[in-house]
Amino acid sequence: MTPQILNESLKRQQRMELIEKLKLEIIEVLNLEDIKPEDIDADAPLFGEGLGLDSIDALELIVLLEKNYGIKIEDPKEGRKIFASVRTMADYILEHQKK
Amino acid sequence: MAGRVFVTGIGIICAIGKNTGETLASLKACRHGIGKITVLDTVHRDELPAGEIKLTNTELAALAGVTDIDMNPRTALLGMIAAAEALQNAGIDPKDNRFRTGVISASTVGGMDKTEINYRHYEKGKPYNNFVLTHDCSYSTEQIAARLGFRDMVSTVSTACSSSANSIMFGARLIHHGLLDRVLAGGSDSLSKFTLNGFNALMILDKHHCRPFDKSRTGLNLGEGAAFLVLESEEALGSRTPLCELTGYANANDAYHQTASSPDGYGPFLSMSDALQTASKNIPGFNLRDISYINAHGTGTDNNDLTEGIAIGRIFGDAIPPVSSTKPFTGHTLGAAAAVEAVISILSIRHNTIFPNLNFNEKIEELKFEPVREMITGVTLKHVLSNSFGFGGNDSTLIFSAC
Repeated sequence: MTPQILNESLKRQQRMELIEKLKLEIIEVLNLEDIKPEDIDADAPLFGEGLGLDSIDALELIVLLEKNYGIKIEDPKEGRKIFASVRTMADYILEHQKK
Repeated sequence: MAGRVFVTGIGIICAIGKNTGETLASLKACRHGIGKITVLDTVHRDELPAGEIKLTNTELAALAGVTDIDMNPRTALLGMIAAAEALQNAGIDPKDNRFRTGVISASTVGGMDKTEINYRHYEKGKPYNNFVLTHDCSYSTEQIAARLGFRDMVSTVSTACSSSANSIMFGARLIHHGLLDRVLAGGSDSLSKFTLNGFNALMILDKHHCRPFDKSRTGLNLGEGAAFLVLESEEALGSRTPLCELTGYANANDAYHQTASSPDGYGPFLSMSDALQTASKNIPGFNLRDISYINAHGTGTDNNDLTEGIAIGRIFGDAIPPVSSTKPFTGHTLGAAAAVEAVISILSIRHNTIFPNLNFNEKIEELKFEPVREMITGVTLKHVLSNSFGFGGNDSTLIFSAC
């Protein structure tokens, strides 16, 4: 494999692992007792239909990003886009995480 | 729902009233209690205004129903008065021992007033050195508990200006987890040279009436007082009607500085977020929009009001509920402040009124909101959020809900 392809494949793997880790963290901080990681579709909307989260849950996700990943979201409206799905959350973390 | 915590009684003594009725009347008349210090013996009496209770210790002792003023610091006397009122308001007979009842009080100065008067004469022996026994904050709690006759659990919290929020939260958790059935929870702090000189040295006292959330704010006014809530389990409540329910509570720390909040208000942000999370577990369908009013910590210092405001903005975005600080009425009563403001928050719920943030003129540029300028009456308040933040980054939030 060329270095570039190798790099791409590493990134894909990192993203998949982060998605799985996030599912566990979301279940923990939001106390989603009856839900298992495999029940969460990485592309399904977290709010509204999907998991049916509300504004207080959004706040907890903002706290999660700050506590676990050192990423600070100033404007709660911004959160709505980032928390569209687990995948958008993972993408945002990979893009903004402090190395 | 198991583990609910109801408020069945309130009691208060502060610069605007020596009981709940007087305090409510002052709030409704926009009559504040900040003025010249006349009871405390201090060199700063002409320079630093405060929310002082205009009663001597002898007069307070008479109200508290005790005669010994040597062994009862002002903090203990104030606490006895407020705690007895709360108990009476709840309709509880202290002799009724069917329920495990605790007393959790908060204080930052305890018996400092006695120490300040007597420490120079320590070597003269008794009674000059009796103050040593009364100095500790927990001594005042024990005097309050002994006066009322409760002994199932007696504990003292001292976490600076969030102290009595933490005593209320501690009491609530003891009930929630079934360890006690009833808790008299609150706090008491008297003015003292120690606090007046200390805050003066920190250069965060306003030489005029404080102006929370105003662009021109320059500091706080100290106050003194005590306030208590009677918290009860659903079982202890029985068929009685509660004043409200304590649905949310949290404590957090931003681990940033000994006296200042972090510039982004991370501690306040966490304590509010976590309290809202507790409330959302207790109240089906609870949403951010359900918070009808925020009784802010709003001390009037540059740092607090800015960082608290930033944290409120971060949580509520464009939909910030009405916010006011009631400290221009009472002064900052330190260890009693959260309990004093818990009582005011409950009065807001019970009397459908948001009391104004006195002395506000101009918005802080960095903030998205301005506080409530005029009294709002005839408003239904479902859930009220009350903040109390202390030195050491110790931040607490309580949420009271109408029943």
